[in-house]
Amino acid sequence: MMRRTGLLRSKELVIFLVLVAICGIVTIVNPVFIHPSNIMDIFLMNTVLAIMAFGMLVVILTGGIDVSVGAMVATVTMVVGNFMAHVTGNLFAVFLVGIGTGAILGFLNGLLIAKLRIHAIVVTLGTMSIIYGAMFYITGGEWVTQERIPQNFQQFGRTVFGHIPTVNGGATGLPIQFLFVLLAVAVTWALLRFTMFGRSVFAIGGSRISAERAGFRIDRTVILVYLFEGILVGTAGVVHTSIVRQVDPNAFNGFELQVIAAVVLGGASILGGSGSVLGTVLGVALIAVLNNGLILMRVSSYWQQIIIGLVIILAVSMDIIQKRRTEQRQTRVDVETAEGIQ
Amino acid sequence: MIKARAPIFRNEFLLLGLFVFVFALMSILSPGQFLKPFTIQSMAFQLPEFGILTLAQMVIIITGGINLSISYTAALSSIVGSVLIVSLNAAHVSPVLSISLGILVMLGIATLGGLFNGTFVALVGVSPILVTLGTMTLFDGLSLLLTRGAAISGYPFAYLWFGNGTIFHVPVPMLIFVLVLIVTYYVINRTSFGMKLFMIGANPTATVFSGVNVKRVLFGLYIYSALLSGLAGVIMSSRYNSAKESYGSSYLLQSVVAAVLGGTDIVGGAGSVFGVVLAVMILQVVSTGLDILGFNRFLTNVIMGLILIGALSLNVLGTSRAQRLAKSRTSAVVG
Repeated sequence: MMRRTGLLRSKELVIFLVLVAICGIVTIVNPVFIHPSNIMDIFLMNTVLAIMAFGMLVVILTGGIDVSVGAMVATVTMVVGNFMAHVTGNLFAVFLVGIGTGAILGFLNGLLIAKLRIHAIVVTLGTMSIIYGAMFYITGGEWVTQERIPQNFQQFGRTVFGHIPTVNGGATGLPIQFLFVLLAVAVTWALLRFTMFGRSVFAIGGSRISAERAGFRIDRTVILVYLFEGILVGTAGVVHTSIVRQVDPNAFNGFELQVIAAVVLGGASILGGSGSVLGTVLGVALIAVLNNGLILMRVSSYWQQIIIGLVIILAVSMDIIQKRRTEQRQTRVDVETAEGIQ
Repeated sequence: MIKARAPIFRNEFLLLGLFVFVFALMSILSPGQFLKPFTIQSMAFQLPEFGILTLAQMVIIITGGINLSISYTAALSSIVGSVLIVSLNAAHVSPVLSISLGILVMLGIATLGGLFNGTFVALVGVSPILVTLGTMTLFDGLSLLLTRGAAISGYPFAYLWFGNGTIFHVPVPMLIFVLVLIVTYYVINRTSFGMKLFMIGANPTATVFSGVNVKRVLFGLYIYSALLSGLAGVIMSSRYNSAKESYGSSYLLQSVVAAVLGGTDIVGGAGSVFGVVLAVMILQVVSTGLDILGFNRFLTNVIMGLILIGALSLNVLGTSRAQRLAKSRTSAVVG
């Protein structure tokens, strides 16, 4: 366990160095990149990805995965949008409804995964189909347009702290949505670091059987993990609505893969048991900087997807190669096994 | 070893029974509409591309992996091949030459995609789900770059035969599917290569120690999976008379659903070609049947998801908990 921690530290350092290198290159090509207003823009555009990534991190730490988060967050935005259009724009009520919707969906996922003991990817494939299908069936796929979003909520979404002049003469500041990212980081970190829940998350991901023998309550933890993820997805849904101030049910098609990519780029093992909040922060930052930097470097948007795909493959390969090198320093028998398996 | 665990849905007879049941149900619910030559034939045209992609998915799942790039391999290869066919056609090259060159290129590009996946899964040793997550993004990006999101069309008329032609009233794509089916069945059940796939899925460590070159087997397997995807790309582009980046993307998740419904164990080690074919047929009948009944398309998605989870629940009821735990222990090694 101690050895692992050391390895993780260096892994995060590598991601950080890559991040710094990319930032450097982008800045040289287009200095606008480090302009404070652009940094604020990056913060704003990636709040949803960040909040959802912390939920996904906890899921992946247990050795699970959730491909239904795109469907979940789309449903949350639709529920929230229609709730505001038909009932009230009261902030407290809106957050309650959004988080509640996310929590219910997450709880259902967790219940199915824990009780059926089926691999999470299959269960969430099924729930993704069900959630998307039900949402489109009920709403007819209709947008909630901006004029139907209450003024107070729009005002809330535009709130910024401080005064930062933009390049074209306007002014911006630290977006209020960023506070939710900080909150998500703090809560996820504290849960994983200080609670029994966090212990059992790592234990299950490390070895489910050992965790069960050690007396961890597997089913309860798994359900709680997906419930926690659902709560974060719910929050992300409301935050997204406050940023774009309209609801497009198709806005999150394929978003689940971006969320998973951010967590994996952040060094979390897809097999569970290893990964960190700091790593995920860096993973999200890497995707955020890539997306923004490629635009500022005037790379055709068609190339962006190709580059992100390559980055994912290279990052996960580097991780494996690094791991294998560590293992090769161990005894010969271990080397044979490790090479054979990988 | 392979047949030791035989939960309820791993039994092809039960799947056959389920197929007969849904077929009869649809025939009764929409009298005179479902059970007529036109409907049957249109299903026979739609099923092959889905079926071939499902087989491409299934062979990977048998080894405990998953291939998220199949539909994007199909799209990318059909786009590259189509660009060639269309430009040769515009240059008045004979259709036979342009079509055969084009199809060769499609299968070649697909093979390259498989090589790419195989290199990272087998040689580098990254989990299949991560590699193919990256390659699906990559292939989709390449397709977008090549087409700028537009559809490529302008084939010589003869090319449409592969997706729309018939031989003695049997659709050509169906014949291709049957051929793929026979080859896949033979490879999986009658060759040592196929035996090794099940061994890798059941217990990768034991497979290494029994002297199997796991890397080589996996490498070959990802190429085979990609080749099947390329073939599905040929059929799709011919059937739609165009090639586009988004074609087939809805089959990705459905292929996992069909493979699992057909009894393929998602953590590897078990799977039957006939089970998968029956599952594909069941899903096709359900989706076409619901369509004829006037069900909302989105409601059909809900039903498909419920079928998946329902099938899995039954599957779990048939497997004892101890077996599952033993299984999860071995699967954790290879992911």
